[in-house]
Amino acid sequence: MSGVNLEGIVKAYGALQVVHGIDLTVAEKEFVVLVGPSGCGKSTTLRMIAGLEEITAGDLTIDGRRMNRIAPKDRDVAMVFQNYALYPHLNVADNMAFGLRIRRMPKAEIKTTIDDVAEILGLTPYLDRRPADLSGGQRQRVAMGRAIVRHPKVFLFDEPLSNLDAKLRTQMRAEIKRLHNRLGVTSVYVTHDQVEAMTLADRIVVMNDGRIEQIGTPMELFNDPANTFVAGFLGSPPMNQMKGTLTASGAKIGDAEIKIDGRVGDHAGRDVIVGIRPEHVTLSAEGPSSALPISLDLVEPLGSEALLHATHGDDSLVFKAATNGDIDHLSGVDAVHVPSHLVKLFDAETGHALNFGV
Amino acid sequence: MMNWNLYSRGDRFFAIVVSVLIGMFTVATLYPFIYIAAVSFSSGFAAQAGKVVLTPIDATLEAYGYILWDPQFWVSYRNTFIYTIGGTLMSLAFIIPGAYALSRPQLKGRRFFNLFIAFTMWFNAGLIPFFLNMRDLNLLDSMFGIILAFAVNAFNIILLRNFFEAIPQSFEEAARMDGANDFQVLWKVYMPLSKPAIATITLFCIVSRWNGFFWAMVLLQSEDKIPLQVFLRHTISNLSDDDEFAIVQTAAGFSAETVTAAIIVCSIIPVLIVYPFIQKYFEKGILLGGVKE
Repeated sequence: MSGVNLEGIVKAYGALQVVHGIDLTVAEKEFVVLVGPSGCGKSTTLRMIAGLEEITAGDLTIDGRRMNRIAPKDRDVAMVFQNYALYPHLNVADNMAFGLRIRRMPKAEIKTTIDDVAEILGLTPYLDRRPADLSGGQRQRVAMGRAIVRHPKVFLFDEPLSNLDAKLRTQMRAEIKRLHNRLGVTSVYVTHDQVEAMTLADRIVVMNDGRIEQIGTPMELFNDPANTFVAGFLGSPPMNQMKGTLTASGAKIGDAEIKIDGRVGDHAGRDVIVGIRPEHVTLSAEGPSSALPISLDLVEPLGSEALLHATHGDDSLVFKAATNGDIDHLSGVDAVHVPSHLVKLFDAETGHALNFGV
Repeated sequence: MMNWNLYSRGDRFFAIVVSVLIGMFTVATLYPFIYIAAVSFSSGFAAQAGKVVLTPIDATLEAYGYILWDPQFWVSYRNTFIYTIGGTLMSLAFIIPGAYALSRPQLKGRRFFNLFIAFTMWFNAGLIPFFLNMRDLNLLDSMFGIILAFAVNAFNIILLRNFFEAIPQSFEEAARMDGANDFQVLWKVYMPLSKPAIATITLFCIVSRWNGFFWAMVLLQSEDKIPLQVFLRHTISNLSDDDEFAIVQTAAGFSAETVTAAIIVCSIIPVLIVYPFIQKYFEKGILLGGVKE
């Protein structure tokens, strides 16, 4: 099976350790996205899998074979670079054929392979063009084509869409997803864009400061973030986090108290961080919920919904509300209603998620 | 056509001064060529009397007749081609891989090697030690010695290294992922991307080899190994020292001056032929080098 397995992977530059022992298993045909802020070690991890960075400690296996000291070309992985790295002096066909020629594939076979891949990617009319004569999206496709023609065991993507404009990015994202569904090649994808992570991934790996914060499916991470970092990273806008203290049936946040499901009463008096997703609140009470008074700063209309920027005590909060085609009714909002079953709790010191059961 | 109305008085004055200076510079560099060509086609008498200014006086091909019939001229002409082509190829064979290696961040001891190379630009052993070294290596009076001894040029290495460094590392990484080894990365990716820089150092090498005079004079003794520039010097000294020859030559219509000029014209022609082909790269290369350093 063409899975990728990382065990205790460490990367250090001299005394500076940037990746602190990562354990990750990517199953065959799985699409795993490494996501995190810049400098979190996600690209370094990807480059270690590619063989472009040496592994300081730990074991990397691809397809069951230890790869630590194997040259990139012998790992049977292909990579799509952030800046495409297309050879400017070669046309599209030659760019895609480069790796095949080096591997001495027969000419006729190269031609059929390239024609097939160009067909899949819609590049057939552009095979004679140089990269400079292509649009950003076309270049991106050529970069993917160059990876695909080799039929590698693993695809590696290093922020491949970050140089594209927003519209093209959405389009290419869907294309990558379709391509993966069609080819079924194990893929590791690095991005700092949580929307890309959510939409593309079978599983997301959230990284921060050279460590893995949480691994899970997009919905697992969204619904049950393991800590405040993940909660604050995924979701758009991310989860609101407020300092509070547990009471018999909920949590006291400033002078307000909200009800929370579960046996929070057993831990009354404990300092916590209360997490509320912007889209989970309602403007009127629906089911078991409690009102959180807010003072509204700003309403940002997005069309079908609007973002309410508000404060509660010292906390800056953002909530989402439906517009129903009009935002006038939102300007007078002075409280939101928080459903008691959707409130998340995190330890005030460690930031780890708390689960007191229901 | 420039629209002068859009320029202030100061700008116009500046443009005029610049044009005049460029004009003077053009004349200063072009005139020696014209003068030498005119002398080479003049009669020996007119040349000796200093009558030639811009056009040939008493036009004649005698000087050319004299050198073109001299077998030694053709031997040294051939030698110059051998030194130029062999030397340039040898230089490129050292400079390109050397510059590439020095440009790679993964090269261990890179700073040391770079300093080591640059050091030779400021300090060198000097004439006598170099001569002794060549003697001890049995490379005196050797054509291969001339080709080998000046193959590595620190300035060219640094110029090309800077160019290689400016090429994004991801090209190398992409080629590596595609299965290329070091040599293939250099040959198939970095060299095609560095055409302007390589053309520039090629031209530098060609010109310096073609004009190479001093070391050839010091290191070569055999007549059948000397290049054109040394032959030119021999001819000049022979002609001017030889009184008997002076009588013959004047009668025949050429002189030391016209023969010298004819050899110079013959030696310039190949460079003039090659230059236009490399010029477009050359300009870019100069710009590049200028910006990088």
